[in-house]
Amino acid sequence: MDAITPVVIATLGAGTPLIYAALGELVTEKAGVLNLGVEGMMLVGAIVAFILVLTTGSTTVGVAGAAVAGALMALLFAFVTLTLQANQVAAGLALAIFGTGASAFIGKGYIGVALERATPAGFTLPIDIPLVGPLLQALHPLVYLSWLVFAGVSWFLARSRVGLALRAVGESPGSAHAVGYPVIRIRYLATLFGGAMAGIGGAYLSVVYAPLWLEGMVAGRGWIALALVVFATWRPARVMLGAYLFGGITIIQFFAQGAGVGVASQFMSMLPYLATIVVLILISRDATRMRLNAPVSLGKPFHPSS
Amino acid sequence: MWPNRGIAWQVMRISLEPRVAPSRAMRWASPLVAVALTMLLGVVLFAALGKDPLAGLHAFFIAPIDSVNGVAELLIKASPLTIIAIGLAVGFRGNVWNIGAEGQLVVGAIAAGWVALQPALAESALTLPAMIVAGALGGMAWAAIPAWLRTRFNANEILVSLMLTYVAQLLLNYLVFGPWRDPQGFNAPQSPLFPEAAMLPILIEGTRLNASVLLTLTAVAVGWVFLSRSFPGYQTRVSGLSGAAARYAGFSERRTVWVGMLAGGAAAGLAGVGEAAGTLGQLLPSLSPGYGFIAIIVAFVGRLHPVGILFAGLLMSLLYLGGDSAQISMGLPAAAAALFQGALLFFLLGTDVLVNYRVRVRRSATTASAQGAA
Amino acid sequence: MRIIDRREFLKSASSLGVAALGARAIDAFAQDVLNIGVVHQFPIGEVGWETQQALGWKAIEAAFGGKVKVTAVADVQQAQDAERVFRELASRGNKLIFGTTFSQMAPMLKVARALPGTHFDCCASVTTTKNMGAFEARNYEATYLAGVVAGRMTKSNVLGWVGAFPVPQVLWRLNGFMIGAHSVNPKAVCNVIWINTWNDPAKEKDAVAALVSQGADVLAGSPNTPVQGVAAEERGAWSIANCSDFSKFVTKRQLTGDILDWRSAYVESARDELAGKWKAQDRFRGLGEGGFCTMAPYNPAIPAEVVADVKQREADIIAGKLKVFAGPLKDRDGKERVAAGASLPDKEIRSINWVVGGVNGAFPKS
Repeated sequence: MDAITPVVIATLGAGTPLIYAALGELVTEKAGVLNLGVEGMMLVGAIVAFILVLTTGSTTVGVAGAAVAGALMALLFAFVTLTLQANQVAAGLALAIFGTGASAFIGKGYIGVALERATPAGFTLPIDIPLVGPLLQALHPLVYLSWLVFAGVSWFLARSRVGLALRAVGESPGSAHAVGYPVIRIRYLATLFGGAMAGIGGAYLSVVYAPLWLEGMVAGRGWIALALVVFATWRPARVMLGAYLFGGITIIQFFAQGAGVGVASQFMSMLPYLATIVVLILISRDATRMRLNAPVSLGKPFHPSS
Repeated sequence: MWPNRGIAWQVMRISLEPRVAPSRAMRWASPLVAVALTMLLGVVLFAALGKDPLAGLHAFFIAPIDSVNGVAELLIKASPLTIIAIGLAVGFRGNVWNIGAEGQLVVGAIAAGWVALQPALAESALTLPAMIVAGALGGMAWAAIPAWLRTRFNANEILVSLMLTYVAQLLLNYLVFGPWRDPQGFNAPQSPLFPEAAMLPILIEGTRLNASVLLTLTAVAVGWVFLSRSFPGYQTRVSGLSGAAARYAGFSERRTVWVGMLAGGAAAGLAGVGEAAGTLGQLLPSLSPGYGFIAIIVAFVGRLHPVGILFAGLLMSLLYLGGDSAQISMGLPAAAAALFQGALLFFLLGTDVLVNYRVRVRRSATTASAQGAA
Repeated sequence: MRIIDRREFLKSASSLGVAALGARAIDAFAQDVLNIGVVHQFPIGEVGWETQQALGWKAIEAAFGGKVKVTAVADVQQAQDAERVFRELASRGNKLIFGTTFSQMAPMLKVARALPGTHFDCCASVTTTKNMGAFEARNYEATYLAGVVAGRMTKSNVLGWVGAFPVPQVLWRLNGFMIGAHSVNPKAVCNVIWINTWNDPAKEKDAVAALVSQGADVLAGSPNTPVQGVAAEERGAWSIANCSDFSKFVTKRQLTGDILDWRSAYVESARDELAGKWKAQDRFRGLGEGGFCTMAPYNPAIPAEVVADVKQREADIIAGKLKVFAGPLKDRDGKERVAAGASLPDKEIRSINWVVGGVNGAFPKS
């Protein structure tokens, strides 16, 4: 392989968990719900998937289980914030803490256990394509699935009727309610979708990427995913860009360290965070364009009778 | 278009009716309801783990504070949470979302540590005051970055303050692994120990209770005056309530952002001083177990009110001590404590609904409000 | 859990010279039980640092049965909290308290000063006082042997090292590894990546991938989990385990590993405490009986003569004939660190902040 391909493969891998979690959160936020508990949902997804794969041997079962587990976590959040009208910021942070604790509790007996790698990461192409071929073969199906999710979310938000309703709910729940949209139910479903995606993102880390369970192994990716949604100004394509940018810089600084670049490693590790801030500044400077995409009622509670 | 039997559908059977005015009784009762629910969960959880539920609750809530030393530990742990939460509440009331207090704490500790490690100040009576000022300024400087980027470039402060937390942590790492490493410390990642003059004095001999709690109590008082009495406090509240109302009243959003961010930064920086010059006495790669994040919840559980925050901080602290205590006395797994903490938070947040709403549980699968939507 | 530990302990009990004591202890009625406290920084897993520490105190339970009661507190991550937990353990009658990591040294020193009647022992501590001892592993002896294997097995002459943080414990292991590799393969170099986190296996994997695609074919470092070995195996590279033996998970391509074994540290302390003659000691031990590190099984792919050579060197190290940090030794900038005929004193090993030639990567300067 040439020098670039390993970087590209690694970048696609590093970006994938962020894509799932951030696209899920994007849909949630587009409905006007701010769920800061992504880290917790990812962790619960990661441990549930890990245990399922360890016991059933099926990655599919594991990933599906993670989606359900993430959605259940999101349901808890949705109940507290949408039905009981609790503050979304606080409930989201509580969810992050609760998820961290719950995943640690469930995963007590699995710390440091690694999964047996039954199947190789990718698959074999029937024909030999130069350059792109080795790249495509090295990617896990979940990477491809993340592209499908991206396509689906993009279409759903931009083109579908339900997506239109969802956006309306996020913009102005009062008017959406007035024209007959079930505001609370749409918000519930959007939140559950966000949870399921976060769960899959966690599963990717624990059963595909590592594949191993360690407490707190999501290691801040849930927070990065949240940041990416803002960074992307609530546009799916920019989520992809942001996730790969963040993943890519992480990877490149490893390659640079491995090649003997003499900068203190702490400064190298800062790069992804600093780059995200810089790009955010560039994107945000145009205030009107930023406002165009931000869900106006993000994080604000809605009660049908108020 | 909408399935008739979604999950949301079932949940909607609980319906809420807004109260005309927030219930004063519920304002006090709802935390008690939450604690009662948590106790109930605790009983179930402990029983499920094969432990005596009553002993479990005792180990969690009573044993940690049944001695002077225990109370001192409770206050030490509550102190950083409370002071940060009060600072953050100033911003949160104005819808300024500083979630990077953890990073501001770290930079505050770095700034205070820099002062403490100046040889010229080793025996000066000015060292400690200078550290406190430096810590507050350090936290404010770190918070000023998102404030400036927000007001100047419209960059989202949630994202910037969060990213800067990671940067601050790595900066501290760099310092204690590199230039600030203790030359007598076997090259381990830690700064030299602070001189005696740079340590917060102990308030009760034989315990670890140090003067950082006085800083926190001062912050509670200042926060109370600022948020409920003074003009700038009113200002952040108004612009938090409604952008239009604030503009009508002539309040600048820009100022709200700056005041909110700097208040949070200063408070977090002071918390950093409290850790570095109080319980630790040096800079270490890991200064805080996430106080900056937990304080956000403390702020909301305390309903963004200084007195409420004080109680919330004490409660959160007790949960931490209880977790370790239950491990020691009952062999309860550490993870169970974290689970328990998360659950209490949900109960506290969830039961707050009782303040503003009356809960009606209906048998019918449809409610008036959902019907209109279907 | 306990059954396995007991069986494992019996294997080594005779070598520890405590079997007789242990047998007697089990007979004794638990009337005056010695309470022992242990504080772990992270949860105890299947493998890794905390697991090896836990094997230590479980060996106490196995040796002395009803004569002791061990209370282990896990997941006490912050130094501030460790201080409180040490105090609480002491106030609940624990007479002997173990710390498991360097960051607990400072809080333990404070508590030990305040409670002269309680005995403390801290792993990785660099200080001892009247009532606080220390124990630390010369695991550079083990990484030296692993380096010999790596130097022989590498085809590309590029070795890789993924570390969390550049602390002295990691640097002496890295130097041992490189000295061992150079002793059989002067052309070998070692590329180093620091990931600056303890708990992000995905980043460890990314770092391994970067090193492998840059030519490394033997991976070592400071993994606390099998993830580096798994990642190396996936890419057809060899790996060296650390802390625990990961061969259960890295089934094909783990060459060997430097394994920590703290059982004698824990058992001896408890034995002395029970006998009323506990004394603060600074124990710094490597390979051999009663030592603090061992080698993981050698991969069958390693040629027999290499294994024989490594075993000979191991015997020489144990006999004191072979010193890893023997002069003449220069750091990578060419500065002489050990003169010919001398060997690096323990104090300098424990505060080592330089690396030998052939190591590439960024290292903190003080």
